[in-house]
Amino acid sequence: MIGATVIDKGLSASIQDLGRFRHQIEGFPTSGAIDQAAFCLANDLVNNPVNAAAIEFCLLGPSLKFHFRTFIAITGAVCPVFVNAQRAEENQVLEIFENDVLTFGPVKRGRYGYIAFAAGGLLTVPVLDSRSTTLRAGIGGLDGRLLQKGDQLPLNECYQMPSLQSRQYAVDEKKVVTGIRVVKGPQWSLFDPAAQENLVKQTFTVSTQADRMGYRLTEKLLPAAQVSLLSEGTVFGNIQITRNGQPIVLLADRQTTGGYPVIATIIAADFSAFVQMPLGQKFAFTLVDLPKAQQELLVRRQRFKRLLASWQQARYQFPIGPARKAAVKIQALLASENEGD
Amino acid sequence: MADYFFVPVGEQSLNLIFPNLIDVKKNQLIQHIARYLLRPDTDLPGIVDVIPAYHTLTVNFDPALLQADELQDYLDRLIQSKKLEASAPVKHVLLLPVCYDEEFGPDLTSVADYGHMTVPELIDLHSSLDYFVYMLGFLPGFAYMGTVPDRIAMPRLDQPRAVIAAGSVGIAGQQTGMYPLQSPGGWRLLGRTPVRLYDPKRPAPLYEAGDYIRFQAISRADYNKIQQLDQAGKFQLAQRKEAGS
Repeated sequence: MIGATVIDKGLSASIQDLGRFRHQIEGFPTSGAIDQAAFCLANDLVNNPVNAAAIEFCLLGPSLKFHFRTFIAITGAVCPVFVNAQRAEENQVLEIFENDVLTFGPVKRGRYGYIAFAAGGLLTVPVLDSRSTTLRAGIGGLDGRLLQKGDQLPLNECYQMPSLQSRQYAVDEKKVVTGIRVVKGPQWSLFDPAAQENLVKQTFTVSTQADRMGYRLTEKLLPAAQVSLLSEGTVFGNIQITRNGQPIVLLADRQTTGGYPVIATIIAADFSAFVQMPLGQKFAFTLVDLPKAQQELLVRRQRFKRLLASWQQARYQFPIGPARKAAVKIQALLASENEGD
Repeated sequence: MADYFFVPVGEQSLNLIFPNLIDVKKNQLIQHIARYLLRPDTDLPGIVDVIPAYHTLTVNFDPALLQADELQDYLDRLIQSKKLEASAPVKHVLLLPVCYDEEFGPDLTSVADYGHMTVPELIDLHSSLDYFVYMLGFLPGFAYMGTVPDRIAMPRLDQPRAVIAAGSVGIAGQQTGMYPLQSPGGWRLLGRTPVRLYDPKRPAPLYEAGDYIRFQAISRADYNKIQQLDQAGKFQLAQRKEAGS
């Protein structure tokens, strides 16, 4: 069913899910949301399955007119959100009625924002098991392209949202991230000790050549001694160093294979901070080992699981009816689960 | 003696690395491992994706379900077992028509000069071999193939072209391949196939890693004819199957 119409296309707005996996063997980039944490949070807020398709935009959100009742959530980059010209909040569920109009002001902090829609997200036709748009291949989303004015978005109606009041997430909008953690990359040892040292000693900025394929950094490093490399698989967060020393961080729309040496790889727990890095913001890389990187990732996931559990908990008004005694115990158990957050 | 080793690419991916060579046998092994890991009924939970390349296999995994050392042990056992031999290769050769016209192949003369031969000799040589598809990458359906004879293995252009037409066939050192989509690129262009190699409406590629491709030189008239047939959906690539080598 058509749930909304695009009345302004915003900037680089496309339909994304977690990504198109298991087709890199055929040369297809994974694509998918560039800030997976913000994407997942948006889906969590509207009680969606984790892989429900959402709209991703860069620097300016699209304007949408809704045709029926639903719930949405906006996450990611910090920007003014309006429903019928009234200021609305990011990082919480917004109730939407027929003929409501969603508009945005330009992004104030960060780069990529997400709009998730309740009851399963955008119901476009999956291509090769994913709804993610890959522009270069012309597949996914709406005919493999960016949103355009007049596009009709297929959604499900939604009248109810469990524990509506508690579905919000406190984001510290003022927090400045200046440290991005990395692990040694597969070609770390091909680099001169001076380059290895400078990677963590000097500061970097994201250049203006930054898109979903990758971010070029402004500051250069000593390139690896000329070694002819056969192309090999790439992963999200790989920091390639080109022949003239230019670092390029590979992101969602990266080519499946590459031939430049990779000095380091950003850890998954810091992907979100890196892709949202404000223009001109100086940051430094710090080196961590693999167990630390894994631990950080699992801790982060655990935190979101607890958040979801707390919303589930709020769904029931404790204590209720005859189950009063058990309910109190369950509540105590859940509360202890929440400690240490 | 194992001739491979493992290198982590990040906390969620591991590279299986064979010697730094372009070798059909090793690449076939890599392809078999990759497909084995992608089986829907796999006995190894936590595999997210695989990227087979010339001499490497990149495996992405979920560290909540699978640890790198478990994955290494599993791959060690898999390589030593006979499980992969069951799928012994049938040599599958696709015959791809290519028009080696000066208009489509702006580098014909320079590559012929590099090989100290005439353009017709170059065309004969380039279309006289079954090229093995080592990997698909760069663009959907971009096949990295080899091995181009040393005599004509001219390195790629110093300055890549901004626009290369879809279907262009080129060489880069010992590699040869086709551009499935219009894109920038630095390979030396010898000709163009009239066959549409990538169609977003039918995105699955016409060939996969492990296949062979044999170029068949065609005239400009045949190029136009095949292109018309192909656009009408009436052209079928000829194939040849041989017992595995």
